[in-house]
Amino acid sequence: MADTASPGFDTAALALFLATASGARRVEIAAAERLGGGAIQENWGIDGEFAGGVLAGAQRLVLRTDAPTGVPDSLGRVAEFAVLQAVHAAGVTVPRPLFACADRRVIGKPFFVMRRLSGNADGRRITTEPALEPALPGIAARLGEELARLQAIRPPDPALGFLPRYDAATQIAAFRTYLDRHPQPRPVLEWGIRWLATHIPAPLPPVLRHGDFRTGNYMLDGERLSGILDWEFAGWGDPDEDLGWFCCKGWRFARLDREAGGIADRAALYRGYEASSGRRIDPERVRFWEILANIRWAILALQQSDRHLIGGERSLRTAIIGRRATECELELLILLDPGGAPAGLRRDA
Amino acid sequence: MRDLPDNAALLELARGSLLAEILPLLPPERHRDLRLVATVMAIVARELAAGSVWADRLVRLVGNLYERDGEGESPGGPLAGFAADLRNGAFETSPSQDRAARAILWRLTIARLREGNPQFLAANGFA
Repeated sequence: MADTASPGFDTAALALFLATASGARRVEIAAAERLGGGAIQENWGIDGEFAGGVLAGAQRLVLRTDAPTGVPDSLGRVAEFAVLQAVHAAGVTVPRPLFACADRRVIGKPFFVMRRLSGNADGRRITTEPALEPALPGIAARLGEELARLQAIRPPDPALGFLPRYDAATQIAAFRTYLDRHPQPRPVLEWGIRWLATHIPAPLPPVLRHGDFRTGNYMLDGERLSGILDWEFAGWGDPDEDLGWFCCKGWRFARLDREAGGIADRAALYRGYEASSGRRIDPERVRFWEILANIRWAILALQQSDRHLIGGERSLRTAIIGRRATECELELLILLDPGGAPAGLRRDA
Repeated sequence: MRDLPDNAALLELARGSLLAEILPLLPPERHRDLRLVATVMAIVARELAAGSVWADRLVRLVGNLYERDGEGESPGGPLAGFAADLRNGAFETSPSQDRAARAILWRLTIARLREGNPQFLAANGFA
């Protein structure tokens, strides 16, 4: 969805910044349009003509900056830029990072600029497009390979020393802290978190985790993966966390039956990951992280509604998204209490 | 005492008008926004129609779990104490209480989804 309204920032100041950063004599911004996706951040498509410098010529770029209110755990834009640089250097398929700016005098808030990819990231379209069907298992395997590649980045890494650590116990504590402050009790989440707390698997050495690795956050140009997007939740974590998040039902869009992101069965994703990482996947570990993913997604949905309820952001989309937490709660019940629904609630009962 | 049509009928009429008459006039990139408005109106209509029947029933079920009738509730309401006990595993030593607690969780979740997203409920095999 594009919004061609005024960008709400000074394009002349942006042009000057881009000229200085790229070594151009001059930059002319021909268009700035709000791009869809990025529920938490703002992405602006920028078409610019660079006179000289390292980007000489016509360029299609994306400027990524903060929305008026955010959610906890989201990296700042300059930090996200550093992650993008690291994974780009490691060979992960991502938009090429160009420049970051922490100076609020340019557009009023920090931002970074990257190349604009062609393609589509819409999860519903990806999971329903008939022409894509034959390619989807291969795309799932490719995403498994990409995940293995990004996990080759491990702490300590001096360029990424600022990244937080996300082990299971820390996340469980954070979930409970959030629920303690939330105005409405969430018994299903409490029950699910209790299960997590009593089933934490033996830890594996930490790796870079994307933190939001899922359908909807990668772009396909036809059948080709053009890039993995949205690195704002990156951190050091368990290698199975991104796998669990990818398989979480909340990210299967129109195809709940295809457990790997609505695009394939798990075997396709796991095959690509195992071949590239050399590590054999333990399904029970992934199950733990998938249950954690459902709880995390529920809490993220509640936090997004908090932007409306507490943060003062007047937005129907953020106001209503908190109700999606209940979808995650149903999935928790299905995963942890299969067959436990009282008689009469099941359609086929 | 209010004039007719009643609020549910008016809300449905307004929603139908948005989808049938206004949506075709909008550029395609705004269709998703308008569909969201229509979805929210449908959720509100279902919540208004259901009233407090299921919530009252759940409060009774939670009371039964504690063998009380509204008395001795925690300050945050009946669900707050229940949630705190689930965090602490309070029902795990009694199979019957554990079963009853999980039955409440199922009923709460399905009642909310009947209003918030009945399509998701149906897609998962629930009515």
